[in-house]
Amino acid sequence: MKNKIVTPFRPLKILLIGFLLSLAFSSCFADVDFGQSENITLEPDLEVDLLYYKLNELDFLDSETNEYSSTIRDTVRLEFLDDDYIQDGLVYAAFRFRHENRFPYLINTNIRFLSASGRSQFNITYTIPEGTLTSPAIVDTVHVMQGNDINKVRRSIQVVVEHEIVGADKAIQGELDLQSKGLFKFEF
Amino acid sequence: MNFDMRKIVLILSLLAFINARSQNRPLLYNVDDLPQALMQNPGARIDFTRHFGVPFLSQIHFFVGSSGVTAFDVFSDENPNVNQRVREVMKNISSGDFFSVNQQLEILSFGWKVKSRGYFSAGIYQELDVFAYFPKDPAILAFEGNTGYIGQDFDFSDVNFAGEVLTVYHAGYNYKVDRQLTVGGRFKLYSGIFNAESTSNEGTFRTIETPGGPNFYRHEVDGLNVRVNTSGYASLSEEEGMTVDQAVAELLSRSFFGQNVGLGVDLGFHYRVTDQFSINGSIQDLGLMFHQKDVENYNYFGSFQTNGLEPLFPELDNNESTIPYWDVFEERLDLNLQQKTTNEVYSTWRPIKFNASFQFGTGKSILPCDYLISKKPRFMNLFGMLISGVNRSKGPTYGVTAYWDRKLNDNLRFRVAYGVDEYTLTKVGFMASSRFKNFNLYMAVNDIIGYTNLAKANSASLQLGMQFIFKDL
Repeated sequence: MKNKIVTPFRPLKILLIGFLLSLAFSSCFADVDFGQSENITLEPDLEVDLLYYKLNELDFLDSETNEYSSTIRDTVRLEFLDDDYIQDGLVYAAFRFRHENRFPYLINTNIRFLSASGRSQFNITYTIPEGTLTSPAIVDTVHVMQGNDINKVRRSIQVVVEHEIVGADKAIQGELDLQSKGLFKFEF
Repeated sequence: MNFDMRKIVLILSLLAFINARSQNRPLLYNVDDLPQALMQNPGARIDFTRHFGVPFLSQIHFFVGSSGVTAFDVFSDENPNVNQRVREVMKNISSGDFFSVNQQLEILSFGWKVKSRGYFSAGIYQELDVFAYFPKDPAILAFEGNTGYIGQDFDFSDVNFAGEVLTVYHAGYNYKVDRQLTVGGRFKLYSGIFNAESTSNEGTFRTIETPGGPNFYRHEVDGLNVRVNTSGYASLSEEEGMTVDQAVAELLSRSFFGQNVGLGVDLGFHYRVTDQFSINGSIQDLGLMFHQKDVENYNYFGSFQTNGLEPLFPELDNNESTIPYWDVFEERLDLNLQQKTTNEVYSTWRPIKFNASFQFGTGKSILPCDYLISKKPRFMNLFGMLISGVNRSKGPTYGVTAYWDRKLNDNLRFRVAYGVDEYTLTKVGFMASSRFKNFNLYMAVNDIIGYTNLAKANSASLQLGMQFIFKDL
């Protein structure tokens, strides 16, 4: 084992401490722009189920008098559209409605989106062709709202679904199904 | 070194590299002329007889690390599309990646030799420790939504974090059993200032297609059980209009006597196998915090599924309003997915740290020719390898460091270290410690390569301090 001779190292001492201090204090963040943090946005695309139902002839007949009515409607509040956070961030909405008609009649359909005061914002109308119990007529509709139109969705809070059967009477037989969903794109 | 010893070293080295991942603070470990070595191993061999730290300045320690992402990955100025980079980062890192911040400030530190074999040391330090796993699934849901992930689970167990601020009062004793073995222990009293933790969460959210079902999809929250425990937070949140500055001032006012207490120990040993070769190990912070005051727990639990809303087209008179479908839906939702705030006491383990190392010395120094001196021969070069780890909620994180420790003389030493851990494979560290008479100044910087541009570094750590160290012969 080789013995070492102890010698003074003052210059080296200063150099070492100086090196460490300069390293610690001269370190930096380079090649980055933290100002970009202001541009970070959450952009979730959410797909959610909306309404669904399965109607038959009984829905068009009065349960007490058995009187036939060619038009039925119902109103559903979609409270989630009334949320400030949702409204501020919503930039795109696509509503998809898929019907299967097993009634042998045309069905006029009107889906209206209303504001809290009941004022109509926009509506989606189409006619569902006649079908049969074994071979239903299928209508698949996608309605896109974007750009300035998105404000109409932001103002909407309730949806009214209305069906009018054309040319039927109290002897009608059949079914009408609905599946629906919304694709909502946000920028927060 | 004989053949058997070479084999031991080889095996230990291989084991170390197999476990080569981690978070560690190796530059002050086994530095026998720094009192901070006793904080990492109370059974460390030391060569001083008294010490007294400059209050608040005897150790300033700061560490920050991220195992999966750097600031450059997100904020690079080469490409202005920051959102695209955020998405890429989220794809690349996993729920096992983590972010960690650890800071310690020694408030008081002192110690002295007791008879011929003992050394008593005590002090106070303040610590901040934050450790959070990347909540990948909730983050993807928030950033991207469910559209591209139909049929896939979003797992709430990805939410896993712990953070605390505390003051630690400690007293330890180091005892030389014989010329080979030194053992030590340190008793710690924790005074909790603030704690927030959420580490055992369960539950999934999914959207699945339902061909033949009533609607396109079914949205399910299954087995949600998320709990966030806090202590020292409720009183801050209840103060209306409290600014961040006021909240910080309130936390600082609790620095010395926080509301919650805990107990813990450090244990360690050092064994000289031969004059040149030694092994040692320690555990730190084997302890519990008992959160009993100013406690608030936030609980979210339940299961729920929905296909949407089903209008029933009821027969209505002209003035009759329809069925409040949304209200019914909300009632069902609130019944099945509940939120409850409680004040239940809870306990948390402190993050246990463990160290094991071996060290080999060469270059025996020449001591002053004085027959009164009873010091053992010292080695000017020390080569060592240290495996260290910290236990976290998803399991321990490991690191391994090899070092060369060079004593230039009795007043100046430095250490160069190379380590690998879960943050980086190129962790080069440097430590220098110097004495001006009895005044000691030391500084250690780990991940030097990262210091050249912190934006591209996965971790950085710094320890510095000044104190009076006496080596009475």
